[in-house]
Amino acid sequence: MDMGLIPTLFKNFFSKPMTVSFPDESIPIPNGYRGEHQYDIDKCISCGLCSRICPNRAIEMVEAPEALKDDYPKRYPKIDIGKCCFCGLCQDICPTNALTLGKNVFLSTFDSSTVIKYPITKKEE
Amino acid sequence: MIDQLSPSPDSKEYNFYFGPAHAGSGNFGVKLIIEGEKVVRARSDPGYLHRGFEKLMEYRMPLQNAVLSDRICILESLNWNLIHAEAVDELMNIEVPERARYIRVIMAELSRIQSHIIWFGVFSKATGFDTGFKVAFGYRDYILDLFEMITGGRVYPAGYICPGGVRRDLPENAPDRIRKVLNKMDEMIDLEQLENSTLHSRTKGIGVLKLEDAIRLGATGPVIRGSGMRTDVRKDDPYEVYDRFDFDVPVRKEGDAYARYQIGIEELRESVKIIKQALKDLPDGDAIAPEFKKPRLNAKIPEGEVYIRNEISRGEAGMYMVSDGGTNPYRVKIRGPSFLHMIPVLEYLFKGVQIADVPAIYWSLNICPADLDR
Amino acid sequence: MASKVESILKKIDSRFDVEVKVKRDNEAWLSIDNENLIDICGSLKDKGFVHLSAISVVDWIKEGKYEVIYHLWSYKDKMLLNLKTRIDREKPAIDSVIPIWDSNAQIHEREMHELFGLKFRGNPDLAPLFLEDWNGPPTFRKDFDWRKYVRENYYDKNNEREAAYYD
Repeated sequence: MDMGLIPTLFKNFFSKPMTVSFPDESIPIPNGYRGEHQYDIDKCISCGLCSRICPNRAIEMVEAPEALKDDYPKRYPKIDIGKCCFCGLCQDICPTNALTLGKNVFLSTFDSSTVIKYPITKKEE
Repeated sequence: MIDQLSPSPDSKEYNFYFGPAHAGSGNFGVKLIIEGEKVVRARSDPGYLHRGFEKLMEYRMPLQNAVLSDRICILESLNWNLIHAEAVDELMNIEVPERARYIRVIMAELSRIQSHIIWFGVFSKATGFDTGFKVAFGYRDYILDLFEMITGGRVYPAGYICPGGVRRDLPENAPDRIRKVLNKMDEMIDLEQLENSTLHSRTKGIGVLKLEDAIRLGATGPVIRGSGMRTDVRKDDPYEVYDRFDFDVPVRKEGDAYARYQIGIEELRESVKIIKQALKDLPDGDAIAPEFKKPRLNAKIPEGEVYIRNEISRGEAGMYMVSDGGTNPYRVKIRGPSFLHMIPVLEYLFKGVQIADVPAIYWSLNICPADLDR
Repeated sequence: MASKVESILKKIDSRFDVEVKVKRDNEAWLSIDNENLIDICGSLKDKGFVHLSAISVVDWIKEGKYEVIYHLWSYKDKMLLNLKTRIDREKPAIDSVIPIWDSNAQIHEREMHELFGLKFRGNPDLAPLFLEDWNGPPTFRKDFDWRKYVRENYYDKNNEREAAYYD
């Protein structure tokens, strides 16, 4: 603590900085972090348990759009990110692990149409 | 007689609102009537953060309530999770495994350390010791990294301590990382006592609360320990596995703001001791009761009522839960320690002090507006 | 030790009509009658129950009664006692315990008056605590339909994201 000016300068010059330069690199996020939802439609069995356990009613079961009704006849979860509190109860209760929480935390947006996540979009075939 | 909120006519008194959207007072407002430089009367004005938790909990199942319970006061979220989980465990007669009990104690003590660190930081800043603020919030980051690794979120643990045990088991390298963080805590306590003269002169002899007044006004926790009574719910009425650990309860006789500050530092040392003992004896086994491994919808709560008391970092917390046999509780009443500290004790302590002493007394009581309004 | 709780309860039992349920070795639940409230509380405070932890109220709408519960803790004997009493729901009024436990009781009674509409005889200050400019009924009663109130005053039909909350 009681070093002079020159030794302190020398020491700090050669040590690694505490900060990271953000858009290029970022601090690693550990496994098990509760971030954005990832939904795999092939594993989903449409039981509806995720919709019943959500404390904020952020998940609603909706039908597929008209053009894709033959491939996907049942109802699938539509998630409203604005209401979600990222608690992870839907991940714990899903019997086939179709709905999991990933590591993406960069969810702020200026475009309000991206706030609701639909299970199937028209681009999918 | 209701306190007159307006200054008396023909006098030099004026209104002063130590207000809710102010950086110096948190989310809480106090109306002061001041004459010259001296406070004559004070009246608290709560209700800025009233969210209606007691009514919200009547419409949700116990597992959903566990996610809600950490928002009662976010600065010590795991302690409120614990009291809610204990209330539901006792009503539903669940047997919690041993390993889960030890993990619950470790997480509750880490949350208490984190809450005391915030208390020092803000108390130091309000009285002029600015380095203490920076030291405190820098060291708090180590504990938030631990929470991120264990529960999945830095500030909101989302009901980690749930009825039946804990939601996830500890990861493999958790005990070693916890021990490294505890060494950093010891280092922080020495730094926090680095400069004492400003803090000393601004808080010694200020805001004195005698023991009879403390009991009459309903103070609990560090406030009544600073006035001379040796009491702590973890020792008098032990819950979880606290009766197996060896720790002290710090007490002071003077009752002023400096005594409460010193009690806070010593309690932090005791919490570090408890975590070290718990890590040494951590048994193997399940982290949650077997019937609660997957969340259960429509599990009925048997009829009954229960009142649980816990010691959180601000004082004594209580939860009264009644069930009439359905899937949701019939009535939940939450007793927060700040309810008593912010209305009767604060109005009593503010009579006759100078304006410059108002922040020193206000922050020395370790209050949380969220606990008051629920 | 069950004997400790029972020895204290024996001293009250003989004079008044009390129904007792002992839960653990330092916790007991007592049901008493409305008129004896002040006498029993006064005698309990002399025996060491100086700390009033909370006052809770439960609204049993099917039976038409309010239940008021006083949770007491004794620092000397380290014991928890819970006193329950029932009053009528239509015009609820009960004696205040301020002469016994002072400002601690006054603030709890002020909160219960605002949320349940329960009058405490002898409490000098029953001003509203949390709500400002509220003209409706007391909000925690089971017959106050808050969903209807919110739907009439705050529901915005043009916003499709709000539909999930109001159905």
